[in-house]
Parts: sequence; structure tokens; C-alpha cells
Amino acid sequence: MMGDNSITSLPRQSGLLETAQIIANNIANASTPGFKAEGPIFAEYVSASANRQPSTSIGHLVGHSTDFSGGAFEKTGNTFDFGIEGDGFFKVTTPGGDRLTRAGVFQLDPNGMIADAMGNTLQDEGGSAIQIPPDAVSIAVARDGTLSVDGEIFGNVGVFEPIGEMERAGANQWVALDGDRLKGDATILQGFVEQSNVSPVLEFAKLISAQRLYEAGQTMAEQEHDRLSSLINAIRQQG
Amino acid sequence: MDALRTAATGMAAQQTRVDVIANNISNMSTTAYAPRKAVFADLIYRTEVNPGAISSTNGTVVPTGIQIGLGVQTSAVTMDIGQGALRQTGNDLDLAVQGRGFFEITLPNGEPAYTRDGKFEVDPDGQVVTSTGFPLADGLTVPQDARKVSISPDGEVYAYFDDAVDGQSIGNINLVSFVNERGLEALGNNLYRQTTASGEPLTGQPGNEGLGLLEQGYLEESGVDVVSEIADLIEAQRGYELNSKVLSAADEMYAAATRIR
Repeated sequence: MMGDNSITSLPRQSGLLETAQIIANNIANASTPGFKAEGPIFAEYVSASANRQPSTSIGHLVGHSTDFSGGAFEKTGNTFDFGIEGDGFFKVTTPGGDRLTRAGVFQLDPNGMIADAMGNTLQDEGGSAIQIPPDAVSIAVARDGTLSVDGEIFGNVGVFEPIGEMERAGANQWVALDGDRLKGDATILQGFVEQSNVSPVLEFAKLISAQRLYEAGQTMAEQEHDRLSSLINAIRQQG
Repeated sequence: MDALRTAATGMAAQQTRVDVIANNISNMSTTAYAPRKAVFADLIYRTEVNPGAISSTNGTVVPTGIQIGLGVQTSAVTMDIGQGALRQTGNDLDLAVQGRGFFEITLPNGEPAYTRDGKFEVDPDGQVVTSTGFPLADGLTVPQDARKVSISPDGEVYAYFDDAVDGQSIGNINLVSFVNERGLEALGNNLYRQTTASGEPLTGQPGNEGLGLLEQGYLEESGVDVVSEIADLIEAQRGYELNSKVLSAADEMYAAATRIR
């Protein structure tokens, strides 16, 4: 079939462009607390053609995987900076519903509730906001999430895990599509913020490889174009 | 052309970070300066295939979907109003707050402002004022003939006259706290103003209600940790460079796309 070469390379080329976008987003978020890097997944279409022609295999982008490995912890010493060691997410209440996040940069809102930079309140294990008394002198969070005010147990910081798949919501947040459940054995570090797990060097290597593959694809398309035009020219001269 | 814009958001974010760090470093010797920190968040995602979408009539489920991120945004520049180191000066009217709390002062327009910079002086009328000349809201006046002023950790102010052994109480200094100190608006000159985000000011005696104690003859140093700021600066610079390289790589890819015939 004429043009098979060009057609099969198209989804691969656009997939490589999207790969560049995913990598660009990873690198742009290399300083975003709790950010998790993404990688593209390519798969092959095999379409069984009619008329006993050989089938055509096309590589294309089917999805992307998220690298949930932990980022490095930066020590800030701030009372309301929390990091989660290992798996699990903090849950915040937003106008759009509950969201999960690994970005543990919190502060107090005007009502004394622990909230993120956008004012979304942090939930405890029972799903309620945590209100700190205004005259509190010392606030300590133990590794198991127990929050104490001036030496007395006051509440806890909830750590949750999604039940099914998650969708990214932006602003360091995720939506658990099938809900979430409490994660019993989580470890919280007070005064630490989890950094992005993006490895800029690795991402850059991937970007260069995507760029080269893309250029190779373009060259192939150009050569195919030349081959076809010389074929057409030859046929025309025969006639 | 998303990759170009995405890389541009990354460059803008790192630029903001450099701006914040530059301001911190230039205030490394400012009394009671609270270092700022830019905090980032990822931007919205363009969903091409929903996670959990059905991919065949047999009910096969797409495990992860395709969501393309569109870059990064600065979600906040937080202020770290912590406890700076104390430096001894020996001046009677130099005060440092050890713990939480701000001094309340009165701006020329009559409005209150708040500061942790305790470098106070006496103006020609004997009034206790900041180094910019704004009076302490507690309305403290030091008599002209006072030999010495003594301020107790809980804010009681005594003046000593001539050869008298005992001091005479001339007033007291209160401190003010806010539920969300990071929500205060910085006015410059080490001054802050109350906002909706900070909550109402809560005035109290030093040492009570979670407020810190006063330390006479000391000033609070800037909270800037120069070493960590420089490390941050290098990181920001490298981040900026990487994003600019992504920009040129993406540009080359798009250039290749336009060469195709």
C-alpha cells in the first residue's frame, strides 16, 4: 500500500511530541513539593488488514505512568511543614471536594485551621479540619501523626491512600476516583517538606532521545517522500 | 506547542524563586527579617484519555489514562516568622522577643502596624519610638531625668532616677500575636499589617497566652540562613537553565515538523 510508511510513522511522531510535553512538565515541576514524575507508555496497534495484505503495526502513546517513588526531604523546621515517609497522602478539603496531596506545606488559616497555601483545610483521620487554639505555644506531630499542643494529645494528621485509580487535579493535588481509605501505618515527619521526585538529568536524557527519535522519523518521512516522487517521475517518463 | 509554554512556566517560576532569594540575601543583616520562600504547584492537566476509561467492548480498563500537564505556577511566597538568633547590644531600649509575638506601633496615619524589630529609641519628647520614629502603641514615655530604664521579661518598664535604688514603674509593653502570622502583609521597614488572612490581633502580656518573653539589651537577627539561600539560588539557576534547554529542544522538534513535505 502506498503511504504505509508515512501513515505508520504519524502516531509515533505525535506520541513523541507528547512525550516531550510530559518531560517538559516534569522539568518545570522539578521544584514543586511532592510532585511525582510521569513517563509515557507506548504500545503497538496491530491492525489485521483486509485482502490478505500484511498487517500494519503502529506504535502510539496509550497512557502514562506515574513514578510514585518518594522525593528527597528538605528540612525546613516549620511547625506546619509535614512530609510522609513511604506511601500515603494528606487529604485536604477543597471547594471541588476532597483531594489527596503529598505537598506538605501547610500553615494556619485565619480561623486557626491547618490549611495549604490555597486555604484548603487539612483533614484529620476522621475527615475533620484541625483547629489549633490561638494560645498554643508548641505544636508537635509525632511520627504516627499524633498532634499534641503544649504537651497534650490534641488530634492527629490523617494519612490516606486511594482505593482505585487517581486523576491529577493540578495544584499538587490528586482526585481518588473510587474514594480513599485511612492508611494505618504511615510515618509523618514534622518540619520537613518532600521535594519533587523528578530527576532533571534523567528527564533531559529522555528528552534528547525523544528529540532524536522524532527527527529520525521526520527524516524517514522526507526520504519516503523523495522515494515516491522519484518513482512517480520514473513512471511518468516511461509513459 | 504545549511543551514550549510548559518550559516557559518553569522558567518564570525559577525566576520568581531567584527574586525571592535575592530579597532574602539583601536582608541578611536586617533586624528580625523573616525569610520568604516561593512555593510551587503544578498547573492544570489536559486530559486526553481518562484514567479508568473503557478501552474495549470486553470492558478492558485503561489503567492510567493520558493527562498532559501544562507546567508550574507559584502558589505562594511564604514568610517564615520564626525565632532569629539574638545579638547582644547592651542598649536599654533594644528589645528582642524570645518566642511568639510582635510589638504594636502606631503609624503616622493612626493605624496600627506590627514589628519584631525591637530597636527602640527615645524621641525629643521622651516618647519611645522605632528607628523610623513611629511610637510604640503602649504609649511609653521615658522621663528626661531617668538615669536608666529596666524592662522585665514580662514587659514591666521601670525608670531609675538619681541615686535611688528602687525603680519606678512607668508603664508596660504588650505583645500581639496572630493566628496566622504568615498571613500578615509586609509594609517594608520591618513592619507588618493585619489582613483577613492573618486574623485579628490578640494583645497580651509577654509570657502569657503563648506569647514570648522580652529580652532587654538584645536584638533579633535576620532569620536568613545564607548558606541555604545560596544552595537554593544555585538550584534555581540550574532549574532555569534546564527549562531553557527544554524550550530549545521543543523548538527544534517543532522546526522539524514544519520541514516535512
